[in-house]
Amino acid sequence: MKVVHSNETVSISEIRELDGSNSLQFRDQVRASLKDSQRFIEVDLSETTFVDSNGLGALIALHKTTCLRNGLVRLLNPTPPVQQILELTRMHRIFEVVKR
Amino acid sequence: MVPALIQTNPGNSLDVAFYCDYAEVRIALDAVTAFLREHRFTEEEIMACELALAEGCNNAVRYVDEEGRQQRIQVQAVCTEARVMFWVHDHTPGFEWPKKIELPDGDAENGRGLYLMTSLMEEVHYYRGSHENILHLSKARLAPVPKSPAGEEESRDEMKRRLAESDQIITDMAEELSFCYESLAAIFRHSADQGHGGTKAEFARRLLNDLIQIIAADWYVLRLLPNHGNSLNFLVASESLFSEQPIMLPGPDETVRSVEVEATITRQNVWFDQHRALRPGDPLGQIKPGANGVVHPIFFGERLMGTLVLGRNLTRAPFTAGQLNVVGTFSDFLAIQFVNAEIQEGLINSRLNERELEIARTIQQSLILREIPSVLGMKLSGHCESARQVGGDFFDVMECGEGRLLLVIADVMGKGIPAAMFAAILRSLFRALPRSRLGPSELLEQANVLLFQELSAVDMFITVQLVQVDGVTRKVQVANAGHCPALLYQPGNGGLVKLSPDGMPLGIIPDLKFATEEVQLKEGSRMLIYTDGLAETRDSCGEFFGYERLARWLKSAGQSGADVGRMKDELVMEMARFQRGDVLQDDQTFLILAG
Repeated sequence: MKVVHSNETVSISEIRELDGSNSLQFRDQVRASLKDSQRFIEVDLSETTFVDSNGLGALIALHKTTCLRNGLVRLLNPTPPVQQILELTRMHRIFEVVKR
Repeated sequence: MVPALIQTNPGNSLDVAFYCDYAEVRIALDAVTAFLREHRFTEEEIMACELALAEGCNNAVRYVDEEGRQQRIQVQAVCTEARVMFWVHDHTPGFEWPKKIELPDGDAENGRGLYLMTSLMEEVHYYRGSHENILHLSKARLAPVPKSPAGEEESRDEMKRRLAESDQIITDMAEELSFCYESLAAIFRHSADQGHGGTKAEFARRLLNDLIQIIAADWYVLRLLPNHGNSLNFLVASESLFSEQPIMLPGPDETVRSVEVEATITRQNVWFDQHRALRPGDPLGQIKPGANGVVHPIFFGERLMGTLVLGRNLTRAPFTAGQLNVVGTFSDFLAIQFVNAEIQEGLINSRLNERELEIARTIQQSLILREIPSVLGMKLSGHCESARQVGGDFFDVMECGEGRLLLVIADVMGKGIPAAMFAAILRSLFRALPRSRLGPSELLEQANVLLFQELSAVDMFITVQLVQVDGVTRKVQVANAGHCPALLYQPGNGGLVKLSPDGMPLGIIPDLKFATEEVQLKEGSRMLIYTDGLAETRDSCGEFFGYERLARWLKSAGQSGADVGRMKDELVMEMARFQRGDVLQDDQTFLILAG
């Protein structure tokens, strides 16, 4: 997992799977990496092949964190299977999903 | 970390076993996706299966307790031309599969697993056992399997091996089918049986004897919870050592001792074995030490019908999830049959009631006097109207010779056939007794002697008023057996008097004595004898018509000098006005005598 900081945003990328085996660790690591000034989290899902309900739970936990800072979670370029799960669970209405 | 134990058959099935760890789940899922690719499922189908299985396996890891952690989770997959089927065996305490699965609120971090499974799979079934649960998933292929590329011919050995494997699958399926068949056959047999009489307990006993054969149980106890009841009542058991006493459901602060009560309260299966022993004082405490079993609550929809306990003495193995599924099917069937029986019983009762009412009405009709006799200078008019529920009111007028008449008005306590029957008996009795030489009080004494045994045997009694009118001397003698007072209007200074000589109703004690009151009727007097239904008629606000109103009406009618026919019509109208069209609550019976 790669973490890059810019002014108000922390960008996460290089995630292969977000499931029961790593989602809690993922959530805690991203929260820990957030600086006081940062209120946006960008998660690059272009290399993510698998997200299960645990992974969705971790993303929602981060969404709550950013809401407290008047920010949001942005999901970048989800792969087709991940996009399908987001739509199936109507998560695409909660997160800002961006295709660049 | 212990690696997942993967037993891969290159053929149509896959068997993976792994310890309770999320990382192990990932390895197992990789094996499953490879297996599905090998069987030419599309990437979309594979993704759906992988996700649904991940959710099932994650639950198996997340909810396992110390006891179950020692055992492996097992995933089995079988591919056919049309579909893939999975079985996930876990060792968690299990959970109740919700009746309706919905997406949780957007902000919820958990609770999407079951929704994903049911959305992605065609079939999802969950069978809960004792620390062994089975999740069964099935997904159909969206498109037919692509044909093998030309030239890729399977070897003879490969064909043979596949054939053998298919054989095994068919054998396994046949075994499972025979299990289902046994259940179905038993249920059909008992369905046919249900119409052939026998009690609820006998029916349940036959069905449950079959059930314990099918699931290899040794004993059972069935208790039912009556509608709105607060105790589990014994219906039937396989052995006589179980308590047949009702088990009271405890109040909110009371301790729960019985596993059957626990299942009633939690509305879930409750298991017991050597690790989860029965509490002291449990009514199942008579079972053999070391026995194990389950209490299954029986439902009809949301209504809890009772509990079924099934147990084993000979083996320590608990019932499997598959066997529990059979228990569920039998219980549902039992519940439906019990509810059907209740409905049938209700129908029969209401038909019986209708028939009873019809008979009672016929009897009462036969009591109505076709023609009221009269004596010199006296006029009579009578009225008897039945309430919807036929009662035991009647009046009678009979000649006693020498210009005398006997007026009878009676009210048999109760409704329906018994009341109508006693009314008929009493009427015949007075007609049979030698009324020419017995006065009203003596007639009542005789009637009480003759009827006491019959009346007290059925806890009934009769109030009666007898009035003997002498047309020659214009004397009136009144005797009263617990009946409401007769009202007499006499013109001039006499005004209105109540005639209520002492006397208890017939059927209360064996030797009764009755007093007699005697009055001399003046010209233009009016006498009203009636049953209490008249004074107790209520208006729409619930107010009684009352004796005072009745007395006032008699006085004013008497003063106006109206004849008895008109007075009868007026009183009937007066009562109807008072009730304002309400349904008659009680019989209204009265006799008016003009002297």
